[in-house]
Amino acid sequence: MSALKLLSRTKLYWGLIAIFLIGVLGSPISSKGNNIFLSYGNLLDVLRQVSTTGLIATGMTAVIITGGIDLSVGSLMAICSVVCAMLLTVPGVTSAAVLGIPAVAVTALFIGIVATRFVFLNLAKSGAGGATGRETGLDAARGVMAPLVAGAVLCGLTLWFLVPQVEPKFGVLGVLLVAPCVGLLFGALNGFIIVAGRLQPFIVTLAMMVTALGIARLTAGQNNAVLPVYTGSNATEDFELLRSMVFGVIPMPGLFFLGAMLLYGAVLRFTPFGRYVYAIGGNEEAARLSGIAAGRVKIATYAVSGLLAGIAAVLYVAQYRQGKPDAGAGLELDAIAAVVIGGTSLMGGRGSLTGTFCGVLIFGLLSNILQLHNINSNLQLVLKGMIIIGTVLVQERNVADLLAYLRLPAGQTTHKETAAAQRPSQETPSLNLGGNKK
Amino acid sequence: MADTNSIASRESAQDIVLSAEHVSKSFGGIAALTDVSFELHRGEVHALMGENGAGKSTLMKILSGVYTGYDGTVRVDGRPTGFAGVRDAEDAGIAIIHQELNLVPELSVADNIFLGREKLIAGLIVDRKASSRSAAALLERLGIALDPDARVGTLRVGEQQLVEIAKALSLSARILIMDEPTSALSPAECQRLFRIIRQLADSGVAIVYISHRIDEVMHLADRVTVFRDGRHVLTDTMARLDENAIIAAMVGRNLLSSSQEERAPGGKTVLSVADLSLSKPDRQGWRAVLGGVSFDLAAGEILGIGGLLGSGRTEIVETIFGSSTGRAGGAIRLDGQLVDIRSPRDARRLGIALVTEDRKTQGLHLKASITDNVALPLVGALSRFGIRSTAGEQALARQAVKALGIRCEDIEQAAGTLSGGNQQKVVIGKWLATRPRVLLLDEPTRGIDVGAKREIYDLVFRLAGEGLAIVVISSELPELLHLSDRILVMAEGRQTGILSRAEASEEAIMRLAAPRRSARSAA
Repeated sequence: MSALKLLSRTKLYWGLIAIFLIGVLGSPISSKGNNIFLSYGNLLDVLRQVSTTGLIATGMTAVIITGGIDLSVGSLMAICSVVCAMLLTVPGVTSAAVLGIPAVAVTALFIGIVATRFVFLNLAKSGAGGATGRETGLDAARGVMAPLVAGAVLCGLTLWFLVPQVEPKFGVLGVLLVAPCVGLLFGALNGFIIVAGRLQPFIVTLAMMVTALGIARLTAGQNNAVLPVYTGSNATEDFELLRSMVFGVIPMPGLFFLGAMLLYGAVLRFTPFGRYVYAIGGNEEAARLSGIAAGRVKIATYAVSGLLAGIAAVLYVAQYRQGKPDAGAGLELDAIAAVVIGGTSLMGGRGSLTGTFCGVLIFGLLSNILQLHNINSNLQLVLKGMIIIGTVLVQERNVADLLAYLRLPAGQTTHKETAAAQRPSQETPSLNLGGNKK
Repeated sequence: MADTNSIASRESAQDIVLSAEHVSKSFGGIAALTDVSFELHRGEVHALMGENGAGKSTLMKILSGVYTGYDGTVRVDGRPTGFAGVRDAEDAGIAIIHQELNLVPELSVADNIFLGREKLIAGLIVDRKASSRSAAALLERLGIALDPDARVGTLRVGEQQLVEIAKALSLSARILIMDEPTSALSPAECQRLFRIIRQLADSGVAIVYISHRIDEVMHLADRVTVFRDGRHVLTDTMARLDENAIIAAMVGRNLLSSSQEERAPGGKTVLSVADLSLSKPDRQGWRAVLGGVSFDLAAGEILGIGGLLGSGRTEIVETIFGSSTGRAGGAIRLDGQLVDIRSPRDARRLGIALVTEDRKTQGLHLKASITDNVALPLVGALSRFGIRSTAGEQALARQAVKALGIRCEDIEQAAGTLSGGNQQKVVIGKWLATRPRVLLLDEPTRGIDVGAKREIYDLVFRLAGEGLAIVVISSELPELLHLSDRILVMAEGRQTGILSRAEASEEAIMRLAAPRRSARSAA
């Protein structure tokens, strides 16, 4: 039984190993007799390909753990890719600069304020004695003035850095600052409407998905405009950095993906914020009644989701050498699928980034295997869909439950008979004879 | 088969319509029912009595097909049955009216009565006229003066109860189980309900009447069965019983004789509430659900709040705690300082704690561990520069387990696997960890067994002794009288009086809690 339990608890890794083995055994062999699937280049391609989905799935995981969903990430990525490509290639005051620079300024102001308050609150906490529910407030100087000053300074610094880049073209650091901030603000807006308007996340982010797509097209200037980015000719040389290998070992997008995963994973695991995310998903009412600012936590998860979509957008532009309004089309669904395959419950309260990591890899390896075998792309879609259902079926009930479920009709009739037959004997009453509820 | 002989002889008595034989049921290792037998005759009103947690509701849920996994046999008309669900029980003519009503407030009386069995034209379209007509006929037969087209949401609780009865009878129920039907009714409504119950019994319907109001049972029942701690204690005809015999059977040990020593809550006033009110949005604008509530609470004092279900008791504590939805008014002072509490977060910071009525939906994250639940309000306070202190959180949990005597295997055990009483202690432990000055307890002993109840009482006294100011809401009058130094009574959203310990009695509370005609016509 415990072996079965262990198997069911680690099923995700088994799934990952299984798909890896299928890949190895079924791989075409190159003319030199090498296993193509196992080749370093191929596996790096997989990592490169999953990075975009992976970044988005990372943000999506926390949103889903709170019991929400974010359908807008694909469109947010589209906006950010357009903004990024425009800043890189078009000099002067463009729609991208008009949208992007204020976004950075607002974000910088906000981060300055929050970070300063955070530091002062924790310094005050170290000073005060034991922990109680009564938090020590800050005086006006440290609670209001210092954060405002810090925010203004940070805001000024970013403007000082960005504004001179408008007239020529943006560099890699510039776009790495602007695109994620644009994503973050749109994400925060999602969260704000969901919390303040007490609306369903599904409908709010669906509306944002449509709106953001429109904004992306408006920003780009014409429908389906593709903004090509040629580093060295129409964009700065250093942008090439984002598609290169780091130390010749790992592709840059993969590094961003793994970094985001580790960082956000640590946040979810080791910080109060992470605990609140799970608490809200588990029982939002109980969390709120425990004095947790559930609204702010939820807004933050959507903001981070948008931020990661922004980072994914920059990597997308580097990877495909273009930014366009349909850049992230359908990506939200891939991300949700990866999260769910990873065992995170759409009901909220349960899930992990480790799971999502496996889910993303399973999804990526699968696509890679199908491509290596030159399987018709439409058939690929059918197979992917079936595999999502299969995995989630195994994921949502554990294996034992699934077996019990399949056996249920037989199980229940015997239960009734034995219950009646056993009665006269003096056996101690057992707990629960059938697979019934409770 | 030797054991079934006695049963066979009893079955020959023709009028036994429903029986349970040697039924046992447990939840996660906690026995709710142990080897219980029960018989119901045609045309009788059979009262089932016992304290909360005695197993009354569990048995009724087994008899009505809600619980399907149990040991023992249930017979209908002498034939063993195995209900796979509520539908099977309904088909066998058993209907149950739960304490919480199962009606759709947006639908009319007639629509509710025929929900799921709509009268149709050509098998497709709902025939509103026909259903309205049949509903009217049914209501008339029961002597209930209700408009079948009225929206159920506009009816009073007592009237809704009658709709439930009509619905049960429209299913041609021969066996009617009623779980605490009078807990939200006015005396006049109770009388009407009793008349209808009597009438039904005379027409041959067998009725199980669950209650812990002895006066009602004395008045209404033909026979009485008493359960205690999940075991059958007594079954007899009413004629051979008196009030004392029933009480003795129900209580068994003297629950309330625990440590109510002479406490002297003469501390200084901690919480002061003046003219508290609350309005909630309604179709017609704002509807007042609470008004004119004023009281002072001293350190070490226990203030009880009594009243019928829906009388605004819960709204008082929710408004103080900042968790109510709607528009609140009035003044709340802590240590004489006017405070503005807009969210539970504000309340927590000020040292106010609320243990909510429903621990499963409002108090606990059932799948999370004891540690995660206890530490939840303090996760932020315990962290340093954004890193949680797992050790600190576990220390809090261990402290709570020790101080409150939470029986568990491990502090990392999921809260949902604990018994009701221990779950409640986890919720209380969570709030005590925040070291509050004011503790608000809403139905702290609902649905927990007798032993755990006594532990909660002892705990409340101990905390008051340590200087905590405590408010306790309870529907159980003996509990309220036992715990409280003073009792504030509510009726229809308004405070109708505060009774001192000397003045307080069950009668006095009920008198103040009864809804008034004038208030009703105004509503």
